[in-house]
Amino acid sequence: MVVDTSATEFETQDLLLNVGPQHPSTHGVFRMVLEIDGELVKDLVPYIGYLHRGAEKLCENNDFRQGIGYMDRTEYLAAHNAELSYVMAVEALAEIEVPERAQWIRMILCELNRISSHFMFLGAFGVDVGVFGTPFIYGWRERERIIDLFEEISGDRMMFAYFRAGGLAWEVPLNFPERVREVLESARQGVKDFDGLLTQNEIFIARTKNVGVITADDAIEMGMSGPTIRASGVPLDLRKTEPYLQYDQISFETITADGGDVFDRYLVRLQEISQSIDLIEQCLERLEDGPIMPEKMPRMLRLPEGEVYIRTEAPRGEYGIYMVSKGGNKPHRLKVRSACLSNLQALKQMCVGQYVADAIIVLGSIDIVLSEVDR
Amino acid sequence: MSTEIFGFDGVNVWVDGLVRVLLIVGFMTVVVMGLIYGERKILARFQQRLGPTRTGPVGLLQSVADALKLVGKEDLRPRNADAWTFELAPYLVFVPVFLGFVIVPFVLDWQVRILELGLLYFVAVTGINIVGWIMAGWGSDNRYAMIGGMRAAAQGISYELPLVLSLLAVAMVVEVPSDSATGESLRGSLNLNEIIAAQAEIPNLVWQPLVLIVFFIAALAELNRTPFDIPVGESEVVGGPFVEYSGIRWSMFFLAEYAALLIMSLIFAAVFLGGWAWPAGLFQDDPWPRWAQALLVTGKAGLFIFMVFWVRASVPRLRIDQLMSFTWKILLPLMFAQVLINGLVLVYDWPEIVLTVTGLVGVLVLVMAVDRAVRHPRPRPAPATQLEGEAAS
Amino acid sequence: MSTDDNAAGTAEEAQVEVVDTFDDTIWDTVNRTLRAVDVRPERSALDLIIHIPHADIIRGLRMLKQDADLQFNYLRCLTAVDNESEGIDVVYQLYSVPKNINLTVKTTLPNENKVIETATTVWKAANWLERETAEMFGVSFSGHPDPRPLLMPEDIDMSDTYPLLKSHPFAEIDVLQGEILGHDRDAEGEG
Repeated sequence: MVVDTSATEFETQDLLLNVGPQHPSTHGVFRMVLEIDGELVKDLVPYIGYLHRGAEKLCENNDFRQGIGYMDRTEYLAAHNAELSYVMAVEALAEIEVPERAQWIRMILCELNRISSHFMFLGAFGVDVGVFGTPFIYGWRERERIIDLFEEISGDRMMFAYFRAGGLAWEVPLNFPERVREVLESARQGVKDFDGLLTQNEIFIARTKNVGVITADDAIEMGMSGPTIRASGVPLDLRKTEPYLQYDQISFETITADGGDVFDRYLVRLQEISQSIDLIEQCLERLEDGPIMPEKMPRMLRLPEGEVYIRTEAPRGEYGIYMVSKGGNKPHRLKVRSACLSNLQALKQMCVGQYVADAIIVLGSIDIVLSEVDR
Repeated sequence: MSTEIFGFDGVNVWVDGLVRVLLIVGFMTVVVMGLIYGERKILARFQQRLGPTRTGPVGLLQSVADALKLVGKEDLRPRNADAWTFELAPYLVFVPVFLGFVIVPFVLDWQVRILELGLLYFVAVTGINIVGWIMAGWGSDNRYAMIGGMRAAAQGISYELPLVLSLLAVAMVVEVPSDSATGESLRGSLNLNEIIAAQAEIPNLVWQPLVLIVFFIAALAELNRTPFDIPVGESEVVGGPFVEYSGIRWSMFFLAEYAALLIMSLIFAAVFLGGWAWPAGLFQDDPWPRWAQALLVTGKAGLFIFMVFWVRASVPRLRIDQLMSFTWKILLPLMFAQVLINGLVLVYDWPEIVLTVTGLVGVLVLVMAVDRAVRHPRPRPAPATQLEGEAAS
Repeated sequence: MSTDDNAAGTAEEAQVEVVDTFDDTIWDTVNRTLRAVDVRPERSALDLIIHIPHADIIRGLRMLKQDADLQFNYLRCLTAVDNESEGIDVVYQLYSVPKNINLTVKTTLPNENKVIETATTVWKAANWLERETAEMFGVSFSGHPDPRPLLMPEDIDMSDTYPLLKSHPFAEIDVLQGEILGHDRDAEGEG
């Protein structure tokens, strides 16, 4: 007997859910359209560009000193790291030798910025996972102390513009080492707080383990970098693989995890804070008096022809500057290689087949800064 | 028909009821404001902040200011919203919660009505608000609201079961003061006053540790508090069913939420901690003045409320599938087992220590089951696309 | 201020100086791998640059990725450089995770025909980078799986606007800055 089921069957339809650009968990003005079946994500289309300000074009029309300020604005949570790539690109093209003291101070500041950025991640991630406010305040508190220190040094809380091609804008305050040690002490406590609050929490583990998994091969194929790829087990840390500044002078191990899931990305970042604290202490021991700028620096830099691709390990991954100079005081072409952009590409792959709530925390675990994605 | 209120005899029943209900509503509103203030202060302390400090002395008037602001706001309705469902939903959330207060024993002989089937009434009435949640979610014509409403329905219905079973487990074995005529001690009551009276010596906390924990978890879920705030999860569905509400309607949801918290805490205090009765039979023959009883009930209920805030400040949110597996696969079997054991104790008249022991074993099983589920997770379910293939074949 | 003085200087010395020896680099290996392709080496301040004709680019990149001695399995960056009259350079920054070596691959597209084969078939990472390059420079990547604009607005027709081309005016901001500065200067003078 043939039963006609067409009349009794419901026609089902997938729901399109627009998340962002104004949504509490999109970390800025990111937008994704989820195609959901019940609570499961079947497809995900990301949209970016809401914060595109044309930083590259602006830099091409400003001289090498002015460009530093725009770098701060592309990566506002780790502005020192962004500046570093830029000034290193200028230095590489102009063949400027940076004094050793300036290099150590740069390292300290970049590592401090990594700590502050990772704390920011931990806080925001805690909120994504659903703890009401507590981790956010924990992270904010530690970040605030570091930012106070940055303000004492550079005069600004976020847009430092403290590095210069050749060295630093001015000498750090006299009590710099003591202040850094104070901050490190509190950061160490902050790591403990987070560790106690989240790492062993059953619900946290249940929510993050085996969620948003990306394998090592896929991560490489997608061009991911930073803690996101290290959590997949790829020991890709530019500080180790291609040491810049004085990273070859100090000892540290690349931190990796092998799960490639959200939990591992959290754990890698948490461990990196401890690692950075350790690194800064080593730097402070090596810090000696000396000049912070080369003796002869022209007032207006004019670079010879050439091109360079400088990459440094920013908190979110590889922050690259591709600079082409055709002579003169402005770059002919400046490309910012954003770690977040490449990491974000893998979002769809990590989210499809998971629950809606997972998509939110996967996005959080990539730790995007939209101003860096869009530039 | 006439009754007695505040020493006045012969008051019309309807007048009496009206007075009591008005009293409750007024009292509730004030207490809820206090609760909101308390939550903000306590959470702030957990987070190393100060909380509200500017409005009034130590920020005491913050809730008043918030309430005034909310009442003064425009009551918006989206153009595409389903007018009736949208407008009615807050009442369906708000009214059942306040109806629940009818049976809540604040202090000895001080409640709206003493009902023989008090607990049943409580469970039945507060269950209605799920309808309000679904209406709010559907009527808003917003996808976040709809997802939130559906989640609320799934969660509310699922956690109703362990909640009811936990109350049932207690009500089954509670020892009612013996009938003077026969001298036999009776067991089983749904009357909250009798349940409290039965705890004069030892609170149910001791006899029913598992039930207490399950009740606490289920209550958290019924109240949509962290870690079960899935329907309203700020970082996922941006407030869920409330996303389109504003002004006074939104504040009704808010008020209902905290009123539900209060009623749940009072029920908790009555069922598990012995309400106004002092532990270990103290002052049993010579009841304390009512203000002291009120203090005791406040303390016991406050313990529950503080626990809820504490949990909120420290744990992440569950995912919807984990939430469902937790109740259906862990809580419910455990509660069935407990009800069965309680029944055996009731029938064969086993000593009550059996209840404590089995309860503690149950707690152990609960912890181990959760630990196992977390540390050794099953592989994830296949994506839903496979379902389509089944339907086609 | 304008950019004219710089542009004039660069046009004269456009011929890139080719260094004779590449002994300290991976040039030998790369050259061996790409013997079927016409390759020209160059030095940047950091890495080796190789030029590949745009017709052979994907073939060359795939060889670089698959060669056992190189294994360039990681695409760091993909962008373009507008050389005005000399066409557009598409630049690939490659990295080999197993071997820890870097390489820059360049290819020049003529201004009349800015079409190149997509690299998404080699690395998935190229997807968004190519979308960005396409909308910023007007380079069209043939065979791209998802050729929507990435950063540019969807609701405005930007099909003729390529912001990062040198011909695209920067004038608005320049003029605006000039006006504001001028205004301030006048105000100071009067005050």
